[in-house]
Amino acid sequence: MTKDLKRSLWDSLAITLVFSILGLAVNAWVHPHPLKFIADEPYQTMVPCPVPGGNTTPIDPGDARLFSPDSFIIDARDNGDFAKWHFTKAMNVPFDYLDPTPDKVLEKVAEKAAASGAKRVVVYGDGDDPDTGEQLAKEISGRGIKNVFFVKGGAPSIEQAKPGGSR
Amino acid sequence: MKPFVQWKGHSLLALIARLYLAGIFLFACIHKIANPADFAMDIATYDILPLVFVNPMAICLPWVELGAGILLLAGYKSRGAAMAIGGMMLMFLLAIIIALVKGLDMSCGCFASQAMESDPIGAWTVVRDTSWLLLALYVIVFDRHPIGLDRWLEKRRQT
Repeated sequence: MTKDLKRSLWDSLAITLVFSILGLAVNAWVHPHPLKFIADEPYQTMVPCPVPGGNTTPIDPGDARLFSPDSFIIDARDNGDFAKWHFTKAMNVPFDYLDPTPDKVLEKVAEKAAASGAKRVVVYGDGDDPDTGEQLAKEISGRGIKNVFFVKGGAPSIEQAKPGGSR
Repeated sequence: MKPFVQWKGHSLLALIARLYLAGIFLFACIHKIANPADFAMDIATYDILPLVFVNPMAICLPWVELGAGILLLAGYKSRGAAMAIGGMMLMFLLAIIIALVKGLDMSCGCFASQAMESDPIGAWTVVRDTSWLLLALYVIVFDRHPIGLDRWLEKRRQT
């Protein structure tokens, strides 16, 4: 290591040290919103798990494919909303933003869809932004289920377009 | 190799690189210094450092960025400042690569605590930070103080 480089290394350490101390001093005595030197509690970091995004097709709530016997319907809302109202014959697969849908549930979806002779899977969710229906549709499509559609606007738009369903 | 190293144009290019890096780091530190809590959250989101180091890092790092930026701009101890910046870039790069390997979908937190959509980590962030690391190395190797306090002090010493 040349003498120059050694001196630069010492300079860099000095810069780091001096400005760190300056930062600590400003934080302690001057900063209007100082930060505690040691955090009391772990930070609540919400990092969504990556959802494999597959190909999905949006359909309108009045689309005939939603009411076709060839469609296997999935309700992506939580159990409470599903109990209040759901589309006739819909299967409830609540979408979770943090945890991927368990493999067993997906296997069950595939089994039921195959047993019903359906040609497509149609998912609807809460209609929020982002919509759980669209998210679940992307997830299940990305994990191997083909021909997946989601209803634009989710359950509220279906109820508006064609009141009914079942309790 | 020798003619390349001795090329006189390096002096000007290193000056441009030095001023560019100074601008980047002075800009990057503003939001972090003003909002240390946001920056601490960004650091915690990477999920690499133990909790005990998160806040000290959030408090100190932006000030080191500020110091290195000012010194690069002023041309005083510019190689040392470039070395400090190189060290930080290496650290940021490692953090981003680890987060990418973990599959985290998150904001970089490089300039401000932005929404994930506006500054997500990805291959582009790695390329950008690598280019800044290379620029810092270029300044370390080729900076010959064409303009700045280092040159002025050197001349004063000689007279």
